Amino acid sequence: MDFNTAPEKFIVPIGPQHPALKEPGHFEFTVEGEIVTNATARLGFVHRGMEKGAEERTWIQDLYLMERVCGICSHVHALAFSLGAEKLAGVQAPPRAQAIREMVAELERIHSHLLWLGVAAHEGGFDTLFMYSWRDRETVMDLLETISGNRVNYSVNVLGGVKIDISDQQADEIRKGMDFLEERTKHYLKVVTEDETFLGRTRNIGVMDSELAVKLGAIGPTARASGLKRDVRYDAPYAGYGDFPVKVITNKKGDLEARFVVRIEELFESYRLVREILDKMPAGDLTVKVPRRIPEGEVISRVEAPRGELLYFMKSNGSDKPERIKVRTPSLCNWASVLVTAIGHNLADMPMILAGIDPCFSCNDRIVTVNRNVDSSQMDWEDLRRYGIEYYK
Amino acid sequence: MDTEKALQLAESRLKDFIVSANRPEENRLDVVINRKDLKAAVSALLEEKQWGYLSAITGLDNAAWKVDETSKERSLDPDGGSLELLYQFCYGAAVTTLRVSLPYDDAKVDSICDLISSVTLYEREAAELLGIEFIGAPNTDRLVLPDNWPDGVYPLRKSFTGLENTAKG
Repeated sequence: MDFNTAPEKFIVPIGPQHPALKEPGHFEFTVEGEIVTNATARLGFVHRGMEKGAEERTWIQDLYLMERVCGICSHVHALAFSLGAEKLAGVQAPPRAQAIREMVAELERIHSHLLWLGVAAHEGGFDTLFMYSWRDRETVMDLLETISGNRVNYSVNVLGGVKIDISDQQADEIRKGMDFLEERTKHYLKVVTEDETFLGRTRNIGVMDSELAVKLGAIGPTARASGLKRDVRYDAPYAGYGDFPVKVITNKKGDLEARFVVRIEELFESYRLVREILDKMPAGDLTVKVPRRIPEGEVISRVEAPRGELLYFMKSNGSDKPERIKVRTPSLCNWASVLVTAIGHNLADMPMILAGIDPCFSCNDRIVTVNRNVDSSQMDWEDLRRYGIEYYK
Repeated sequence: MDTEKALQLAESRLKDFIVSANRPEENRLDVVINRKDLKAAVSALLEEKQWGYLSAITGLDNAAWKVDETSKERSLDPDGGSLELLYQFCYGAAVTTLRVSLPYDDAKVDSICDLISSVTLYEREAAELLGIEFIGAPNTDRLVLPDNWPDGVYPLRKSFTGLENTAKG
């Protein structure tokens, strides 16, 4: 492939399709020579009309529908929905159920962060790190399967509580898994903060200071890596987070390295929380009764998903079906930070900057390099990734 | 900041625009404003030290329903109802919602993109799904619906029950 490096204006469309990763999205980066001067996004390629669908289904059916909004952070969606519906119905799940909800949410965060670590490393060409982190991620996937029967869509929540309990034997297995992962994670932290080649791709790249993060409304690990102490688990504790509080991890540097460090340090915090919950698990019931018809009202339910604040607005008209369910997913808030921090960077940095927010979109297999005036050439995501790796060799 | 204090601060900053206000939950303040005041109200929240961040814009179709007395079946009442936009700001645990009501036949409101640039994605979503026009929005390209979706069909409106000829896709 012949890359034109003369300082002409190009628009590089990325996406939308890629069958291997999570979701499709389409981006256009305007480049002058190597430097990105503008970036735009087009989403919606997998818009499934779930908000409309939710209005046609009963509250109980919606619990299962909402769990399927995302295949990575499925539990937090079901959790946000259950907490909102319970608030509307005026009931509260028992303490043991709330503790199990928190524990599964943290296990889910571990699997999501490890998945992200692998994807982000892969985008930078660090495939050994990718393979190792995904191998280790299997540990937590197996644990989730052990306690719920499923690797994804664990279906732990019911309206009014949870449907799984944790036996002593399962608790021991989880503890063992946490010990193993903690050792591995120490190694990963060392790699991302000490490896020269890795730092060459992450240090001072895609910098967003706290002022800019506030302005762009960044949330989740992306905001925390810019020094903002923004975490729903801490700001507005839900489920078990009041009894088992979380320590918020932040980093002031705001570059890609900080986004790696924050997520990896959050893994340690998740291991600690899971252990603490297992050690001090409250005894008692797993569910309370929730009426089939949910009383009229409006409620906002916020939880901290692996990628940041997830907000549900729920309105009930007093029947067995909701009037309106609005879901605002965390990736939506962080797009702006990509589109802004991309500007001024090399085209070769785009894969890692995109991956840096842990976008719940996807990798994209089809890139067309278009020269507006002359000719156009085709480049796919794999080519761009390779191009980035070659560029930094 | 303490949740109660944060909500009081929001209320005092919005005092010139409040049509009515209530507290549906302990951590929430709902403020109904006129749509002409939207930009000024948002600026009031953002000025000096920014009050939290805009977490979401929720669009609602508050359709009016009538019930047939004999069959007990519910149907849309074309004479009533309206659209509503909820601008939800979060600050720690506190949530302030600006509520703007819009009639169906004039569903227009000022875009706040020039105040919060990241809001474009939320506005475009509401524009496509509920048919609300954001005056002065810098970008009105399709965001979530397919390119071949018919104009003037808004799927989140209660009157929408499905496209005809969908099989042809």
